[in-house]
Amino acid sequence: MKRKHRKAHFLLWLILGPAIAAILLLAVTERPASPVNDNLPNTLIEGVR
Amino acid sequence: MSHDYKAVQWTPFKKRFDLWMVGGIALYLIVFITISTVAQPSGESFAPIQTLLRATGTLALLLLTFILCIGPMARLTDRFNPFLYNRRHLGVATFLIALTHAGLVILWYHGFSETNPLVSVFISNPRYDSLAGFPFESLGFAALLIMFLMAATSHDFWNANLGPGVWKALHMGVYLAYALLIAHVALGAIQFEKHPIYLALLSAGSLTVIGLHIYTGAIGLLPKRNAAMDGWLIVAPVAEMADTRAKIVRPYTGEAIAVFRNGNEISAVSNVCRHQGGPLGEGKIHDGCITCPWHGFQYRMADGRSPEPFTEKIATYATKVLAGVVYVNPAANPPGTPQAPSLIGDIP
Repeated sequence: MKRKHRKAHFLLWLILGPAIAAILLLAVTERPASPVNDNLPNTLIEGVR
Repeated sequence: MSHDYKAVQWTPFKKRFDLWMVGGIALYLIVFITISTVAQPSGESFAPIQTLLRATGTLALLLLTFILCIGPMARLTDRFNPFLYNRRHLGVATFLIALTHAGLVILWYHGFSETNPLVSVFISNPRYDSLAGFPFESLGFAALLIMFLMAATSHDFWNANLGPGVWKALHMGVYLAYALLIAHVALGAIQFEKHPIYLALLSAGSLTVIGLHIYTGAIGLLPKRNAAMDGWLIVAPVAEMADTRAKIVRPYTGEAIAVFRNGNEISAVSNVCRHQGGPLGEGKIHDGCITCPWHGFQYRMADGRSPEPFTEKIATYATKVLAGVVYVNPAANPPGTPQAPSLIGDIP
């Protein structure tokens, strides 16, 4: 890769890396205690119960 | 590999790779569906289509995670070069699996309402202001659109018409697709799959991808602090130069240089392939030509030109061997300039 692409690639991961890590962290800390979650289709919730 | 469009050719190796790939995909789906069916606790009732959409969803995520590890891993070890060479086929296969997953989801969860199923994906859950209740399917849909763009433009026709720079920039969108996919799973399946193994696998996969890209990206940008006398850069002792392989030198300015050894000859060329900017120094010499690990484009060591009838050419560099150590002059010759190789003398 050319140097400018390497830089763009590296900078992109410096942004995406923490963003992905933050999403994972928030998704775990914010998830409901029970599997009931109305953003999920009913059939999936029924399956977990 | 010329000024005119010419696709990367199919080779027996690519065909074998594709057979293994299709076999692996089929094996994963069969094993996943079998285990899910056999291990399903009593009292739970998953329809076969639900098992299949889970199988395709997990497979697409696994494959994309692996694909994104190939590039950085190939910089750390030669063992990943075969995957690098066939990465596009894996990418298109991943898109088709993700498309199957999306089709099954839309059919099963949105296909029976009076609303248009595609519209239903975005409006059936309007909680866009909530994290825990976020409509995660829309994230997966956005990732799928990006993957479609990647797959649709993966053919060399588009590389030839868009130009390597634009094509490469466009295909870096796969990183955004991966981030969207992680968010899709984290705000979706992870919200109700409480067993820690799912979160552990998702975290391990994504952190591996992030770590590899940042680590190898940093290495690639750091110039080697090996300035030697009179502006020549030290490459390596001759004993460390593997036959038909290269050492990559990164000057403080300009592009990286690939310094190859072929028997008792040392030659240096630009590390950037004219096709898609692939790292030539991670390839090897086949039939007397430097061969790019990405798509097999070739250049002669003597002058950096592609063999006839092709017309690509890359910069060459002067080299020398002194007291068993290889040096390279970082001042590039114009692309295609003949440059006599340095001779090692007695091959160690």
